Amino acid sequence: MVVNPQQEELRELVLTRTGGGVDAGAPIRQTSLWRDAWYRYRANRAAVIAGGLFLLLVVYVVFAPILSPYDPYAVDFSQAYQPISWSHPLGTDQYGRDLFTRTALGGRISIGIGFAATIAITGIGILYGSISGFVGGRLDNGMMRFLDALYGLPYLPFAIIVTQLFQTVNFWVMVIALTIASWFTAARVVRGQIISLKENDYVRAARAVGARWYRILGRHLLPNTLGVLIVFVFLELPGVILGEAFLSFIGLGINPPKASWGSLAQDGRDVYLAHPTMILIPSVAIAWLILCAFFIADGLRDALDPRTRET
Amino acid sequence: MPLLEVRGLRTYFATREGDVKAVDDVSFSVERGRTLGIVGESGCGKSVTALSIMGLIPKPPARIVSGSIQFDGKELTQLREAELEKLRGRDIAMIFQDPMTSLNPTLTIGTQITETLRRHLGMSAREADRRAVELLEEVRIPRANERLKDYPHRYSGGMRQRVMIAIALSCNPKLLIADEPTTALDVTVQAGVLDLLEELREEHQMAMIVITHDMGVVAEAADDVVVMYAGQIVEQASSLELFDRPEHPYTEALLGALPSLEGERGREERLASIPGRPPDLLDPPAACLFAPRCPFAGLNDYCSVEAPELRELRPGHWVRSAHPASERAAVAV
Amino acid sequence: MSREGKEPLLVVEGLTKHFPVRSGFLVERTVDRVKAVDGVDFAVEQGTTLGLVGESGSGKSTTGYCVLQLLRPTAGSVRFDGRELTELKGEELRRIRREMQIVFQDPYSSLNPRMTVADIVSEPLEVHGSGTRRSRRETVRVLLDVVGFDPSFTNRYPHEFSGGQRQRIGIARALALNPKMIVCDEPVSALDVSIQAQILNLLRDLQRDFGLTYLFIAHDLAVVRAMSDTIAVMNQGRIVEAGPAEQVYTSPQDEYTKALLSAVPVADPRRQRERKAERRRLRHALAEGF
Repeated sequence: MVVNPQQEELRELVLTRTGGGVDAGAPIRQTSLWRDAWYRYRANRAAVIAGGLFLLLVVYVVFAPILSPYDPYAVDFSQAYQPISWSHPLGTDQYGRDLFTRTALGGRISIGIGFAATIAITGIGILYGSISGFVGGRLDNGMMRFLDALYGLPYLPFAIIVTQLFQTVNFWVMVIALTIASWFTAARVVRGQIISLKENDYVRAARAVGARWYRILGRHLLPNTLGVLIVFVFLELPGVILGEAFLSFIGLGINPPKASWGSLAQDGRDVYLAHPTMILIPSVAIAWLILCAFFIADGLRDALDPRTRET
Repeated sequence: MPLLEVRGLRTYFATREGDVKAVDDVSFSVERGRTLGIVGESGCGKSVTALSIMGLIPKPPARIVSGSIQFDGKELTQLREAELEKLRGRDIAMIFQDPMTSLNPTLTIGTQITETLRRHLGMSAREADRRAVELLEEVRIPRANERLKDYPHRYSGGMRQRVMIAIALSCNPKLLIADEPTTALDVTVQAGVLDLLEELREEHQMAMIVITHDMGVVAEAADDVVVMYAGQIVEQASSLELFDRPEHPYTEALLGALPSLEGERGREERLASIPGRPPDLLDPPAACLFAPRCPFAGLNDYCSVEAPELRELRPGHWVRSAHPASERAAVAV
Repeated sequence: MSREGKEPLLVVEGLTKHFPVRSGFLVERTVDRVKAVDGVDFAVEQGTTLGLVGESGSGKSTTGYCVLQLLRPTAGSVRFDGRELTELKGEELRRIRREMQIVFQDPYSSLNPRMTVADIVSEPLEVHGSGTRRSRRETVRVLLDVVGFDPSFTNRYPHEFSGGQRQRIGIARALALNPKMIVCDEPVSALDVSIQAQILNLLRDLQRDFGLTYLFIAHDLAVVRAMSDTIAVMNQGRIVEAGPAEQVYTSPQDEYTKALLSAVPVADPRRQRERKAERRRLRHALAEGF
C-alpha cells in the first residue's frame, strides 16, 4: 500500500496538532479510533434514530413483562379480543391475554434467538473462514469448493428438518436450526478479511520475529476483523429474525406456551379479518427490528469503514 | 499580463475544532509559456492551492475565505460551478499523482479521451477517434490506434500517466497543473514523463504548474519556484536563483536534507535534518511559523513574536524570513 | 564477537524465487512462472551496509524477504552467521530469527492498529519469552528512547502518530531482540524529505552504536548512496552491477545502471540540463520504450 501524499496532506492538515521540539515529539492526534467511529456514526442521522428505536425496543421487551400486572399465560375468555385501550395498550388475544405483555415476551424470544443464532453463525464463520484464509493454498481451495457445494443447500428445509429432529422445539433448537445452513456467507466474509489482512506488513513483522500461528491469528488478524464482523452481525440479524418468524408462522417454530413474534402472528392468522391487530402487531414489531438493524448496520459500516481509517 | 494571477488566496477547512488554515495568504503568478514549481512537504498546502484554483476543493468542509484568482482575465472565485466546469479540461487541465486511480477501469482508454473531446469541443465520434489517436501518438504511446481499445489495466503506470497527459492536453489548455505527476512512478519512467511534459509544453505554448515535494523534479522542470511551508509561501524566485542562492532557512534545510547523488559527500555525509514538526494549522501562532524549528531564530528574537512579511530581497527573489541567508553573512557568528 | 578474517555475516548464492502462475477450473495447474528473483549472489560484511537498489518489479524486496526466510527461496543458498538458513525449520529457524530483523516501508501498515506502542515494541520480547513483564516494559522504554521516540507515549495507538514517528516505532521493534542484521525495506520512501533525513541519520547512528549490519533496499539512488558501503543494482530479478558504492556511482559499467543514474533528478538546474541531454543519448542506446 503506497501512501498517497495528496491524501496524506489533506488528512495531516485537518488533524495535525502542535509538534514540539523533541526529536519525534508528541502524538499528532489524540482521539481514539472508537471515538472517531462514534462521531462518524453520529453524523448518520438515520443510524442514530434507528439506534434509538432499537434500544427502545430492547427496553420494552426487557421491562414490559416485569412491570406488567398481567399474567401472560392466564386464560380469561371474558377478556378475549379486547380492543386497544389504556388498560390493554395492544389489546388482548383470543385467550384474553394482554398483548402488550405477550408481544414483549415474544420479543425476548425473537430477539434472543436472532442474536444467538447470528452470533453462532458468526462464530462458525470465524472458525471455518480463518482456517481457510489463514492456511491458504490447497486447503483453502478445498474448503471453499466444499462451501460452494453447501451453498446449494436450501436453508429453510434444513431448518425445518432440524426442528423435526428434536422432541420439543425450544430456544436452542431454533438457534441450531437457523444456524445450520446459514453460516456460509459468514465464513466467506471472514476468509476474505483474513486474506487481505494477511498482506499487511505488521503480519510480516510478526512472522519475522518468530510469532507462531496462533499469535498471528489471535493478536493480529482476528482483532482487525472486528469492525467488519460487527457490521456483518447487524446485517445477518434481519435474515435470521425473518427465518424464525417464518418457521413459527407456519407452526414449525418454538412450542407453545412460549411464543415468539412469529407464533403470535400465527395466532392471528385465522382471524385477521375480524381482528387485524393480532397479526399486525407482531409484524410491525418484526419490521421495526429489521429496519433498525439495517440502518444501524449502514451507520456502523460508515463509522468503521477501513477506507477512512488509517489502515 | 500573466496568464494566472493568484492574490492573497486563503483556503480554510472547517473542522470540529475550528478552521484549519490550509492555505494562508498565497500569491503568485504564472506567465504564458513558463513553468512554475510549487514545492513543499506534506501538509504545506500545495495541493490545496492547486485544487482551489481549479475549484475542486470539497466545498464543505473547505472554502476559499478570501483572495483572487485571475485566469486569462476572468476572476475564478466569482464563477459559478457550471462556468468553472466549462473552464476545466478546456482552458485549465490538471493531472494527478496516481494514474492508477485517475482512470476509470471500466472504460476503454479511447472512450476516456474521446469523452472529453466530444464534450468540450463538440466533435463527432469519428473526429474524436482520429484526434484521440493523434494525442496518444503525441505522448509517445506506440501502436496508438490499437491501444485505443485497451482498458487501463493493460497499461503500465508510466503509460497511464501519459494517457492522463493526453487527456489533459486534448483541448489545448492554456494552463496545465500537474500535481505530483511523477511521485508514483519509477525513476526512469519519471524522467520520461518529465521530458515529455517539457516538450509538449513547448509545442503547445502552455503554461504549467508542477507541484511536488521533490527538489530534483523542481530543478528539472521549473522555471520559477515557490516554496511553501505551513500554508504560506516562504520563498519565491526563479529556479536558477533559488538553487544558487537559497535564502530562507527552510529552503536551505530542505536542500541540506537531500542526500546527494553526485559530489563529494556520499557515505560520510550527515544529512541536515529539521527537528520537530510543522505547526498546528488549526491555531497557528502569530509569529514566524518556522521559528520553532529554525536554527537562526534567537530566543529574544522578534521571530517568535511577529510574523515576517514576504519581502523582495532581490529583484524577483521574495523571502518570508527575518534571517535570510544574505543578511546572516553580515552578522558575526 | 569480532568476525575479521571470517566469512561475511551474510552470504547469498544463486538465490532464486519463482512464483507459479496457476489457472484452471476445478483443479489448478501451474501454467507459468514469474521469476521474481533469478539467481542472485552477494555478500555483506558485518557492520556494513549493502544497498540493494532497483525499480519496482526488480525483485529487491522479494530478495530481502527470501533472505529472512519470510518467503522460502525456490533455490539457492542463504548463509547467515555461518548457518544455512534455507535448511532451518521450526524452532531452529525461530531462534535464529532473533538475529535478523526487518523495518518496513509503509509506516501505516507495518504497525497493528489495535496494539499500543508498548505492545508493538515488546512483542518480539514476548514471543521469545525474554524477561518479565516489568523488565520488558523497561526495555521498551529504553528502545524508544534510543530511537528518539518519547517513551511517555507508550500507551497510545499508532494512528495517533505521524509517518516518521511510526517509522521510529518500527525501528524500535526491530531492535528489540538485539539483532545482528536488519533488512531495511524502503524505510524512508514514504516519508517527507526532512523526516527522511532524521530517520536515515538515526539508522546510521544505530549502526555505529550497535554494530549492526544492514541490507538496505531502496529505489532512491541518492538515499542508497548516503547509506551504503557496497551496492548491488537489480533489474528484473538479476543483479546487473555490484561493487563498492562510490565506484558504482562514479563509474558505472552496466547500461541499465547508467540509465538509472542519469534518470535521477538532481537538485541543481544547470546540472539537470546536462543530465537530460545525457539521458536522451542513453535512451537511444537502450532503445527501450517506457
